[in-house]
Amino acid sequence: MTTTISDWSAISALGLGRPAFAAAVRARGTAAETATPPDPGRARLVPRFEIREVLGRGGTRTMDRVTALAVATAGHLVGGTDGERRADVGNEAALVLGTNISSAKSSMDFARDTLTQAKPFFVDAGRFPNAVLNCAAAQCGIRHTLRGPNATISGGRATGLLALNYARRLQRSGRAGAVLCGAVEEFSAERAWLEGAAAAPGALLGEGCAMFLLAPEKDDRPGLAEVLAVEFSVCAEPAGAGAALGTCVDRAFTASGESPADLWAIAGSGGAAEDDVLAGHPAVRLRSTDLVGDTHAASAAFALAAVLALAESERTGDARTALVTAVDRDGVVGCALLRLPSAGDTR
Amino acid sequence: MVTGLGVISPIGVGLAAFAAGLRTGRSGAAPVRGFDTTGFEHDIACEVPDFDAADWLQELDPADLGRASRFAVAAARLAVADASGDPAAAEHTVARLRSRHGLIAIGTTMGESRDIDALVAQELAHGPAGMSPALARRINAGRLSVSIAHELGLTDVEPVTVPTACAAGNYAIGHGYDAVRAGDVDFALCGGADALCRKTFAGFYRLGAMAPDRCRPFDLDRRGMLTGEGAGVLLLEDLESARARGARIHAEVLGYGLNCDAAHPVAPDSDSVARCMRLALDDANVEPEEVDLISAHGTATKANDIAEARAIRGVFGDASPPRTVSMKSMLGHTLGAASALAAIGCVVAIGEGFIPPTINHEETDPECGLDCVPNEAVEADLRVVQNNALAFGGNNAVLLLGRYEEPS
Repeated sequence: MTTTISDWSAISALGLGRPAFAAAVRARGTAAETATPPDPGRARLVPRFEIREVLGRGGTRTMDRVTALAVATAGHLVGGTDGERRADVGNEAALVLGTNISSAKSSMDFARDTLTQAKPFFVDAGRFPNAVLNCAAAQCGIRHTLRGPNATISGGRATGLLALNYARRLQRSGRAGAVLCGAVEEFSAERAWLEGAAAAPGALLGEGCAMFLLAPEKDDRPGLAEVLAVEFSVCAEPAGAGAALGTCVDRAFTASGESPADLWAIAGSGGAAEDDVLAGHPAVRLRSTDLVGDTHAASAAFALAAVLALAESERTGDARTALVTAVDRDGVVGCALLRLPSAGDTR
Repeated sequence: MVTGLGVISPIGVGLAAFAAGLRTGRSGAAPVRGFDTTGFEHDIACEVPDFDAADWLQELDPADLGRASRFAVAAARLAVADASGDPAAAEHTVARLRSRHGLIAIGTTMGESRDIDALVAQELAHGPAGMSPALARRINAGRLSVSIAHELGLTDVEPVTVPTACAAGNYAIGHGYDAVRAGDVDFALCGGADALCRKTFAGFYRLGAMAPDRCRPFDLDRRGMLTGEGAGVLLLEDLESARARGARIHAEVLGYGLNCDAAHPVAPDSDSVARCMRLALDDANVEPEEVDLISAHGTATKANDIAEARAIRGVFGDASPPRTVSMKSMLGHTLGAASALAAIGCVVAIGEGFIPPTINHEETDPECGLDCVPNEAVEADLRVVQNNALAFGGNNAVLLLGRYEEPS
């Protein structure tokens, strides 16, 4: 069976929802910088994302930012603007959500309390689930009544592609019809500290969630994109990343029967060697880090969203292909090849 | 086909020690040594004692890995060695895996949470600038799986970490099963890993979910869980690949089921758990009466054991549900490793023909109403075994394993 993306949404520094993201991609906009802690840091933050304003007061007392970003983005795909549940996302829909360490802030706050309170167990039990890595996926399931498989997936910058492949396998093995599949990352001072300690400065840190609705098999409408191939490799040394990515790309074309010559767009997660993939190829090039900052675990998902956004703003009479790449510093390398139907095919 | 098993557990490292521990009902409970427990009124947990990653790692420097990744990588090494039969042949097996396309799927609940605890302590003492770059580089959850690729020199693999909390082991095994069965990959190294840490201990302690001394699943006087740690990794191959290299087939994965209660962050929903078991039975094409043994999630909290037992009786009937044991009575709750270690325990039970006991048992809670095989292992001819996992967030994953029989 083919995997078809029938809808998507994104929350990022470019704004809340698909239209805001699409408009900014069309204009090749870069999200605004915001002054942040740790002072005098700067990051690309989701504007005006107050959890209680976005999601209401009920059930949000202990909700952390990464969870709220995922719950809000999933909400865009589960319900229409009128609050009605979409007919093609039933209660048995699956959720596959990518994350790195969920909320660095939640995890560190909880650990801090064990060291600073009068007793080491004077921690807020209600926030304990926030320190567990599946918190955001679980809350998406609870808040949106998604009773199918509920998976959390992690693999650095390649997380969004790993989640996509996990979701494909769920569908192919008959374990899920509709799947909400995406990846999320939050900004916090804690994440900035950890990132600052772990790596040399790169793109400004960003945050957000990009999520895709994978249509159930029985839905034979053409959708926004077909996932033709998802390929992975591991490179032992950073110097080998370009070659590893090249292998993935070759395989994706071979598996799909498509020709690299016809490739329309290449979107990268912002990792090493990604800019050099298919060097000299005239395809349109996008980088999620340029658009929304470095969203780490969500960076490949945002690259995929950028392809979809650009495709719908620049529709053509012919079907096109697009490549999404990811190279993570821990050695995971991957790519996804998509087919974007022609204007006539698209709903 | 399950062709390799690697175990790092509180009751034994390596398959033989683990199997012996299960057979003799060994307890992994002891006072915590891994972090300071001053201020807690009790300090019993199930750590992996005296674990030195350098004993197992051949390529990677343990200093580059957090404790959970060390467990995962060591367990993967052990799984490959087990799959080779003769330890001297392990290098040959690794070379074979390198030439094939594979999946590495490792589940976890907390990732490298112990390192995060250490980074917080550094931050409190010296400010953010005092945080160790070496530790900060170790914490990404993806490293639990990709480090196995680096250690074994595997490049043609898809390394994915599956942090679906305490159902993560079964989730990862299921993912490996689907990938192998669909022909996407030739092999899968899959399982789960977690390292005990102070924040997890404090969290379960505060929830009132932790026993002061012993873990007593399904007992009338059970007081809760004990936290644990470790890793379990299984090598899955398709039958053809296993036969081609003359592998010993320990057992086969028959199928599995996944669902989400979508109700409460920490309390299980027995109807939903029952639904998950039915999904797994259907997927495996197994009738409830064919199940010879259930390896329960069995945390020994009041709520879990009653909800899980109710779900089991709902699916299997009140009259004579299968014998249902909790290996957590011996291992503690090893979180992301729990269902992977229990799955390996199931494979051992099938292969060696015994049921691991539920230890520390005095009187079965009538509300649970299950035969939990108290205290002593019993001999049994097991063909189909079910392995339950229930997680925070209402994430359920149920795996069915069966004895492999050569077609006659």
